[in-house]
Amino acid sequence: MIPSAFAYERVQTVEQAVRALQANPGAKLLAGGHSLIPLMKMRLATPTRLVDISGIRELRGVWKKDDRLVIGALTTHREIATDRVVRTHLPALAEAASRVGDLQVRNRGTIGGNLAHADPSSDLPAVALAFDAVFDVLGPEGMQTVPIDGYFLGPLVTALPENSVITAVSLKLPPSGTRSTYVKYPHPASGYAVVGVAAAARVEPDGVIDFVRVAVTGAGDVPYRAQAVEDALLGQHVSDDLIREAAAHAADDGSISGDLFASEAYRRHLCSVYVERALRKVLSRG
Amino acid sequence: MSEVLKPQFTGARVTRLEDARLLRGQARYVDDFEYPGTLEVAFLRSNRAAARIQSVDVTEALAVPGVKAVWTFADCPITLPDRPFQVGQPVLARDEVRFVGEPVAAVIADSRYRAEDAVEKIRVQYEPLPAVVDSRAALADQPRRVHEHRPNRFLHKTHVTDGFNEAFQSAPHHLELTFRWNRQTGVTMETRGCLALPDPVSGRLTVYAGHQSPHGLRGMLARLLKLPEHQVRVVVPEVGGGFGIKAMFYPEYVVVAEAARRLGRPVKWIGDRMESLLADAHARDAIHEVAVAYDDEGRILAVRDHVIGDTGAYAFPGFPGAVGEANWATEMLTGPYKIPHVSIEIECVFSNKAPLGPYRGVGGPIGAQVQEAIVDAVARALGKDPVEVRRANLIGPEDFPYHTPTGKVYDPGSYGESLERALALVDYERFRKDQEQWRAQGRYVGLGLCVFVEPSAMAESEAGSIPYEAVTLRMEPSGVVTAAVGTGPTGQGHETTFAQLIADQLGIDVKDVVVLHGDTDSAPFGGGTGGSRSGTIGGGAAIRAGQALRRKLTQLAAHLLEAAEEDIRLEAGKAFVAGVPARSITIRDLARTAYTDVARLPEGMQPGLEVVARYQPPGAATYSNGTHLAVVEVDVETGFVKVLDYVVVNDCGVLVNPMIVEGQIHGGVAQGIGSALLEELRYDENGQLTTTSLMDYLLPTAEDVPRMRVEHIQTPSASEGGIKGMGEGSLIAAPGAIAAAVSDALAPFGVFVTELPIRPQQIVAWVQAAKTEAQAG
Ligand SMILES: Cc1cc2nc3c(=O)[nH]c(=O)nc-3n(C[C@H](O)[C@H](O)[C@H](O)COP(=O)(O)OP(=O)(O)OC[C@H]3O[C@@H](n4cnc5c(N)ncnc54)[C@H](O)[C@@H]3O)c2cc1C
Repeated sequence: MIPSAFAYERVQTVEQAVRALQANPGAKLLAGGHSLIPLMKMRLATPTRLVDISGIRELRGVWKKDDRLVIGALTTHREIATDRVVRTHLPALAEAASRVGDLQVRNRGTIGGNLAHADPSSDLPAVALAFDAVFDVLGPEGMQTVPIDGYFLGPLVTALPENSVITAVSLKLPPSGTRSTYVKYPHPASGYAVVGVAAAARVEPDGVIDFVRVAVTGAGDVPYRAQAVEDALLGQHVSDDLIREAAAHAADDGSISGDLFASEAYRRHLCSVYVERALRKVLSRG
Repeated sequence: MSEVLKPQFTGARVTRLEDARLLRGQARYVDDFEYPGTLEVAFLRSNRAAARIQSVDVTEALAVPGVKAVWTFADCPITLPDRPFQVGQPVLARDEVRFVGEPVAAVIADSRYRAEDAVEKIRVQYEPLPAVVDSRAALADQPRRVHEHRPNRFLHKTHVTDGFNEAFQSAPHHLELTFRWNRQTGVTMETRGCLALPDPVSGRLTVYAGHQSPHGLRGMLARLLKLPEHQVRVVVPEVGGGFGIKAMFYPEYVVVAEAARRLGRPVKWIGDRMESLLADAHARDAIHEVAVAYDDEGRILAVRDHVIGDTGAYAFPGFPGAVGEANWATEMLTGPYKIPHVSIEIECVFSNKAPLGPYRGVGGPIGAQVQEAIVDAVARALGKDPVEVRRANLIGPEDFPYHTPTGKVYDPGSYGESLERALALVDYERFRKDQEQWRAQGRYVGLGLCVFVEPSAMAESEAGSIPYEAVTLRMEPSGVVTAAVGTGPTGQGHETTFAQLIADQLGIDVKDVVVLHGDTDSAPFGGGTGGSRSGTIGGGAAIRAGQALRRKLTQLAAHLLEAAEEDIRLEAGKAFVAGVPARSITIRDLARTAYTDVARLPEGMQPGLEVVARYQPPGAATYSNGTHLAVVEVDVETGFVKVLDYVVVNDCGVLVNPMIVEGQIHGGVAQGIGSALLEELRYDENGQLTTTSLMDYLLPTAEDVPRMRVEHIQTPSASEGGIKGMGEGSLIAAPGAIAAAVSDALAPFGVFVTELPIRPQQIVAWVQAAKTEAQAG
């Protein structure tokens, strides 16, 4: 449980970070270190150099820009969970961030690191999917944006271009009157999502659902939008039966898999249970 | 000297004297000792369950800068003692590996970093062999023998009471249950480790290690390194948890000590978490096939138990785990119940898994769960309240000394009383009514009981077969007492409890007694700590030593105060004449006189104040008891189990320190929750251990452990001070209580728990199966 030897450098700007990555094949960015360092200690990751970006001030913070909430890549889980703007406009994100691991993890871990790492059990990907996240990325070719759709390619694999740095993540704010939530079954040891569900919905006064988003993390190789659940709900009248029937499709869009703690069948079942629980929270009236 | 002592400290909630240093982070564990020039060891461990070693190439590893040596068996040809099973473990694998995690080679380098780099460069050629992982198949030597020269089944024994068959066959009712406990281990916060320091001048070797038996460790090291015992000094500094795991003797210790000797440098090895899950003693891993005969009232007439225990690849010296587990579980099979007949068959096998050793409670948790499940199953079969069936079977106060059908003799306890008090604490009748209502609302809440009996202070245990303990007491000229003991505390607070017992004998403040332990240079020879023996046997020795020193102080005081010895009292730091408190002398003055004013000593009295006492309790064991009661709620959609309430009524004889006793209980219940709901070492079909980090080997956290209510009953033992051991009872009882509570919660679905730990997905599967069946029917 000791990493192999590596070089370490601390950079002050995103440009420096990109250059350092380009100059050193085998180098990796270091943000909060709470995903990378554990892998290094198990020697599952053996970067030759760590490029520490944690000191780059301008990568921290949350602000509203038009119909989007922009979050600097180095903003920590705790900062997000306690941020007034996030809590007001995107409670599901605040809830998800507040339930990441434990306090120490939330104090160190960053949203950029979380989404770049793409652990299939991470919490934030569900929220990112539900609210059409877009990444601002600086790479060797300059600034570009990367949409969340098609971003998660596999466990720990993303569509992020090589040698690039996420500078910010922006989430699309849902129509006003939308309620959102994040619920999860935390893994008993790590706190990671065995299954986590982000849900948002708006119900018109006549009881018809006119906006709905459901995304699931933890259940399989990659987090996914639960399209089948959304389809079953959109334009329908809210009812207990509707929720139950929609939730039955919770696993349809995922490639669900099992691990030591939870078999595939159990995870499928949990998908439905947690989608149903999330939907009850955002669709219940009053 | 029949004067009645007025105990001031014994029985009081004295704050642990250890805590100041522990809570301030000032305690020193093995890894905190740093000596210049220390080399560190990293082990290459087998990644195969079973394979022949064709070659080990260490050339590249040796070339890593800072590497001083790379050893295989050829370089350190030492094998742990193999009696009585002829399967001693080579300290580094010899020709064949037999479990994942077995040390194959050792790199000794100037830092652990370098050593681990070099480990990665060792090339081993393995010829894989089929792994033996299923204990039932192993019985028939399938797929093969773990040790070519002997069958896998290394132990077979039976015990049948006279008249069993008749009693069993003539009973009106029968039921059968098969229990399975998966592998677990006692996870210590501080991993195992050791540090060996050679002294080139004297040739002595000092070994620092976190261990429960300092003298046991010294003896074994001396024997294997072929050194005279006085040339080995073992120092056990602060230990971050032992739980039986650290009572064993492990191959790494030999390699480290031998390396220090041969390289002439201090050598250290501190296990990491993966190593500890791979190669610390594992525990449990047994199947119990049980048949029960009972009558219409729920009285249990006879129990048959066939045990299959899997001890892993090797037997720990002195403690083959599966045998310990099976023996304890079956010897205590009837627990607190008057079950007249048993038929027991034990079969233990080798497998390609890590060796099994002791973990707190040894077979006790399994035995207690089986015993309680039997009662609950009978109650369910007869449609009776489980409490009624317990009352119908419990051993009563009139039955002591009670002879069990397995040949044990229970000294008096409070079995029924502890049960009734536990029930009263939760208002049992009311609970049953609430439970009905909750069920109607779709909430599944259950209550489980475990009425346990805990054998303690046995002549033989994992701490070896030393039936006594010794305490040396020296009152310094300042009046402060130094006590040296042979026990090996790993967090139990001996420095406080022994000080309490001694202070009361001498009439001095508890803070004026300094308890030394763990250094074989200063501690008297002792067995160490294990088998819940320290309080009773070590505590008894502390009392005896205190009494001996008190006699001398009394004699001296009587002489100086010109009074009769019978009239002298020692209290609050003074010796005085009974009824005449003004005629007094401070104990400090007595001490000074004894050393420096020897002309005033009575004729024939030796100067100084120093005694040694040894104590061996009168019985083969003394039995603590109590009742654990758990209330759990099961989320039947997710399978998540939450412990809502937990009550313990405990009887461990005379309490030395209720706070420490309660701390022991809190910890044991926490481990019991882990045992029942979380902890499992899982091997796949190839013998790979798949739970090698604490992300996969699940431990209870503070969130999972409820506040508990603990009450005490005190039924004294016949041992000195009336003390009974209590280190293990809480872990013996808790898993059974939790399992029973889950069964009770899920009774509407026909669920009855027989396999531990209970996994959430299993609960969901049970509930879904019951629902499907209900729909079909
Ligand atoms: C005990 C424990 C429990 C945890 N529980 C949870 C949990 O319940 N839920 C959950 O979601 N997470 C959990 N985590 C993970 C935690 O959220 C991590 O902090 C987070 O996933 C990674 O963020 P980081 O800043 O620590 O990234 P780092 O570990 O520093 O980096 C992770 C990866 O992302 C890359 N990276 C970092 N920043 C950037 C960037 N700006 N641009 C491009 N690449 C970048 C790094 O190169 C690295 O490959 C847990 C972690 C631990 C140790």
